[in-house]
Amino acid sequence: MIQFLTDNAIYIVMIIVLIVWTGIFFYLLGMDRRIKSIENEMKGENNEE
Amino acid sequence: MYWKIFLFVLMAFVSIAGITFPIVDKPSVWYEFPFIPGLGENAKIIFFHVPTAWLTVIAFLMSCIYGFRYLKNKNLNDDVKAYVANQLGIIFCILATVTGAVWAKFAWGAFWSWDPRQTSIFALLLIYGAWFALRSSIESEEKRATLSSVYSIIAFVTVPFFIFIMPRIMTGLHPGSADDETSGPIVNFKMNENMLLIFFLSLIAFTILYFWMWNIGYKSILIKEKLQKNIEVVRDSIFNG
Repeated sequence: MIQFLTDNAIYIVMIIVLIVWTGIFFYLLGMDRRIKSIENEMKGENNEE
Repeated sequence: MYWKIFLFVLMAFVSIAGITFPIVDKPSVWYEFPFIPGLGENAKIIFFHVPTAWLTVIAFLMSCIYGFRYLKNKNLNDDVKAYVANQLGIIFCILATVTGAVWAKFAWGAFWSWDPRQTSIFALLLIYGAWFALRSSIESEEKRATLSSVYSIIAFVTVPFFIFIMPRIMTGLHPGSADDETSGPIVNFKMNENMLLIFFLSLIAFTILYFWMWNIGYKSILIKEKLQKNIEVVRDSIFNG
């Protein structure tokens, strides 16, 4: 495995890009959830009034 | 929820395919890309550079559409949507310019050579940069929304010309220019079917990502404005009654 990656450096680039994409994706996912929960909370407040 | 998983898998697949699939002279297996004269290994940039330019067009088109909607309905939410679309549009426009410049250093020998393609994207950056300047100079909300809607509608008229027409009818260095004999017009880029498929998958993935970012962007601004209004209402009720 290590030998294969040493010989084919492009796969290391691929792994790094995948890790970066995973990070960005889960950041966006978390942000999306947070905004949805704030929206729901605000809807609840308006109904109470 | 499912479309998010779909986006994750699609973008991961495009990254894997776009980066690691080998470029060979005569592709015989499905995962091999054809060699394009004049581009070579650099041809793989197409999976990441072209989508940014594509998103620029989508974003500016959306700001034009929401400009129309604002002028029709006078709903300030449409103005916020147009604003976020333009924000993303200019981000992706800068990304397209920078990735293009990095690529140009190795394909053409210089980061910047005022190729028709580079000149036209520079003009686009100036036009939409002015949109933000215009916006920040007006205080009244309605007036700002109306003027920036009108501006983004007029500005979008130039987008097809700068992105699709001008760089193709003029001679230049960018693939797809009028005198380009090695790789031909972008539409029959000498890509084989597999390369075209991954190219379109990449466009789809980036488009979904754009809509997600746009959604998060305008929702957060709408929440902020709503909260501000609530605070003002509370403040008024404390001071007046």
